[in-house]
Amino acid sequence: MTATLPAPTVLRLHRTALTGWLVAFTAVAALLLWAYGPGADAAVAEWNRLCARQRPCTWGGGSIMNYYRAFTLAEFLILWIPGLVAAWAGAALIGRELENGTARLAWTQGVTPTRWLAAKLTVPAVLLTAGTTVLVLLHRLAYDTNTLPMGWTWDRDNTFGTNGTTAIAWPLLALAVGAFAGLLLRRALPALAVGFLVAGTVRILVHETTPHLWPHETAAGDAKNGYRTPVNVMNLGEGTYHPASHFWPLQLVETGFALAITAAAVTTAFWLLRRRTA
Amino acid sequence: MTDTAIEADALAKRFGRLGRATWALRDCSFRLPAGRVCAVVGPNGAGKSTLLALAAGLTAPTGGTVTVLGTTPGAARARVGFVAQDKPLYPQLSIAETLRMGADLNPGHWDAAAAQRVVAGGDLDPKKRIRSLSGGQRTRVALALALGKRPELLLMDEPMADLDPLARHELMGVLMAQAAEHGTTIVMSSHVVAELEDSCDHLLLIGEGRVRLAGEIDELLEGHARVSAPAQSDLSPHTVIESRTTGRQVSALVRPVGTLRADWQGGTPSLEELVLSYLRNPEAPALTPAKSEEFSA
Repeated sequence: MTATLPAPTVLRLHRTALTGWLVAFTAVAALLLWAYGPGADAAVAEWNRLCARQRPCTWGGGSIMNYYRAFTLAEFLILWIPGLVAAWAGAALIGRELENGTARLAWTQGVTPTRWLAAKLTVPAVLLTAGTTVLVLLHRLAYDTNTLPMGWTWDRDNTFGTNGTTAIAWPLLALAVGAFAGLLLRRALPALAVGFLVAGTVRILVHETTPHLWPHETAAGDAKNGYRTPVNVMNLGEGTYHPASHFWPLQLVETGFALAITAAAVTTAFWLLRRRTA
Repeated sequence: MTDTAIEADALAKRFGRLGRATWALRDCSFRLPAGRVCAVVGPNGAGKSTLLALAAGLTAPTGGTVTVLGTTPGAARARVGFVAQDKPLYPQLSIAETLRMGADLNPGHWDAAAAQRVVAGGDLDPKKRIRSLSGGQRTRVALALALGKRPELLLMDEPMADLDPLARHELMGVLMAQAAEHGTTIVMSSHVVAELEDSCDHLLLIGEGRVRLAGEIDELLEGHARVSAPAQSDLSPHTVIESRTTGRQVSALVRPVGTLRADWQGGTPSLEELVLSYLRNPEAPALTPAKSEEFSA
């Protein structure tokens, strides 16, 4: 009879990571709720006061800027914090256990290495996915109800990255790559750095490549006289663009890439662990 | 239930990449019957820790096989206790939480009372964090975890190194009681041969990754003799493990073949003498059950 690592045990061992994630989640959620409610109200009021009757109008330092800063900060945090926590969970927690030998303690307390790794991946994966999903939904809520005619377009890198499934998939990649680095390096901090950097780089590369892989539209015109691209599109240069209706196909293709690389990293990690232990 | 606790056949473990690879263990074959208290001795870097890690299923062998309690080390995991040399524990947990983890990870065969007793013997506050414990106190908690598991086979790598003499004596007593009461097979490695002499009945001497001596301590001692003979005596056909000439006398440790000459003033060596003789003479021929069967055949 072999035991598995129960979720309460995993959480008790990783209180710091859990607390860090809860604090980050609460902060970003509060920021988005503020932007959705009072922040947006104040910004719209200021817009109406300053810009409703006169164009062009100027503003600065007031409610509009606060609202703008809030959502750009929230997007930045959703984009990078879950990935950082995930790389921490994957790399630091697995790398540290191998570094100071506590992995051997777990393995000789009747938990097979395979189940140990599975528990170490599943518990953070569930928590990260749940938390990030809520953050993405809150972000969409604030984005969808935004009436301010400035600044917030679907194709902005950070907005695109926090409005759909890609935001949920990328932390899983950071977790998997972090765990793989932890197994390979058997050191906590180097594995955290490698996990976060590799996952971040892959994310940027895939995000930059995906729009070129999905069929795009071409506007009329030429390089000399300019292209007549419609509004509210993602421009790819030389008159090519994605209309807003391509949001979900692009999201799903990028998510697919992320999950495929995640699956490969997880499979390799399990293979490596099984090869090393009896 | 099987009557063999550990059986190794041509077991080998190599570390490092090709070119710079070193063999931690090589062509290692022995059989340890169940219910024994076995001492694993050998110099630093002999392969003792590697052997214990292989038996505990923590690393995979490069060659050969090791069978533990009649199955693979991986499948025997739940029935084997292991105390690593550096006594790894989760520093962020308290003693009580550590023991609760032991209970969580060993459903159905966790002996909370036994684990508590080991901790209580050290007068430790259960709410204390592991990171605040001394080396000896950590050893005590590690032993509590291993014993609470109620293992059929308990593997310990230098278990007593951090303990003061009193704690060493007390915990050795706890281990021997466990062995006597539940028939637990105990395997422990140590540098200090003297501390094993009273408690162990089986010996595994490892040197340079190979088994040098293996067997029941009584039989091993009886199979060797100290002789003191005039210098230039021909000691053949006996196998000479070690000999030293002082003045007109040669004193030697031999493995007698047939009977020894009565006037050579034989005597049975102590365990420490036997072990030291083998350690000082790495070229001395090995004696393992597999080899002795070959000789008798």
